[in-house]
Amino acid sequence: MIAASNKMSFDANKVVMLAEARSDNWSQLLMKVGADRDKAAFAVLFDHFAPLLKGFLMKGSALGPERAEELAQETMIKVWRKADSFNASKASASTWIYTIARNCRIDWLRREAKSSRDIEAEDIYDFGDENPSFNSLVQMRNRDKIRENLAFLPPEQLEVLAKIYFEGKTHSEVSLELGLPLGTVKSRIRLALNRLQVRMTAAEARQDA
Amino acid sequence: MPEVRLHPNTDALLDYSAGSLSPAQAVAISAHLFYCPGCQAKTRTLNAIGGNLLANTEAVSVAVDCLSDVMAQLDTVDTALPEKREINNAAPQGDRWKNLPPLVKGLVRDSGISWRHLSSSLRVARLPVGERRFELALHQIKAGGSAPAHDHRGLEITVVLHGSFSDDEGVYHQGDYITREPGHIHTPVATANTECVCLSVLEAPIRLVGRFSRLFNPFLSFMPV
Ligand SMILES: [Zn+2]
Repeated sequence: MIAASNKMSFDANKVVMLAEARSDNWSQLLMKVGADRDKAAFAVLFDHFAPLLKGFLMKGSALGPERAEELAQETMIKVWRKADSFNASKASASTWIYTIARNCRIDWLRREAKSSRDIEAEDIYDFGDENPSFNSLVQMRNRDKIRENLAFLPPEQLEVLAKIYFEGKTHSEVSLELGLPLGTVKSRIRLALNRLQVRMTAAEARQDA
Repeated sequence: MPEVRLHPNTDALLDYSAGSLSPAQAVAISAHLFYCPGCQAKTRTLNAIGGNLLANTEAVSVAVDCLSDVMAQLDTVDTALPEKREINNAAPQGDRWKNLPPLVKGLVRDSGISWRHLSSSLRVARLPVGERRFELALHQIKAGGSAPAHDHRGLEITVVLHGSFSDDEGVYHQGDYITREPGHIHTPVATANTECVCLSVLEAPIRLVGRFSRLFNPFLSFMPV
């Protein structure tokens, strides 16, 4: 009995999951690249994502257009190489590509700093994300909520988030750059993350109360 | 496995997701994530924020030959890039290495572990990650043994990998992520029946010149340049 009901809920999850995955064309294409080594599909992905990556990496002052384009290329080559490990039930194409771009940027910064040992960002940021208990349906709904809620964030909250994600700035660097007290930066982040459904730890919730 | 009780704060996970942590700090977060499904889910959400920001960003057109450039590299890339670096050291054996995050196992395997005794019950092995500001190390306290009381000139992050330890503020188990601010003084003691292995990230103190400089933090195995 228990086994049967488990199976049913699993199937129901799967149906919704597939329906959602279908609605995300980029994820579909990326799956195709992974499964079939489909170069035509990759070219379509490239045309969409390379300019976004370039724009993303150029925001802020750290990277000029040439360097940003090189890193966009490097990212897309990694996308090709790793496409078979992409799993649409864990992350959307843009989220997965974001993490690869982030890792490329980290490695580039470390090469620039002539760091003595090359531990690759990819190794550090792979946290063995194979937890069987996590619910991809919940994950999917969160994903949609993030997309919707991001559109309604007040500009001052979005500005702070953008600095952190686009430029890899720490909170104190953001506070220096925007000429805002650190506390203000932190509370803007807190408000934004609350709206985006990031659950705070119990200790943080107590602090806020 | 008992549930992990102590977690990195949301700001630290955000910095991890955005890629602004130093390598040693990022390794500590990664190690915690290995044991903590809750923080994994949170990190996925934070990554999804990054993904959405990327999707909504203003596109900047790339050079005409950008795609053909990449297409030309695709086939060579598949064969030219080795899957993983060659590793010569054997995987560490024994109980204490059993349920370790693959990242930590990899670091141990790559660098080989060389323990250095700091006291009769405490030893340390440095894990090099090419980092100036923080030192990443493993600390091992013998069953029932204690580490010398020490204060912190800088930030200290500890992730329990094996066994458990306690100090005047509590008992810490596998996966717990403990942050100690500069100035905090404590005396960690390992639980009586098992040794305790921790991953620690220590902020390098201001460099002090002189032959007794190391005494300022007995946990540091080297003086950073
Ligand atoms: Zn956690």
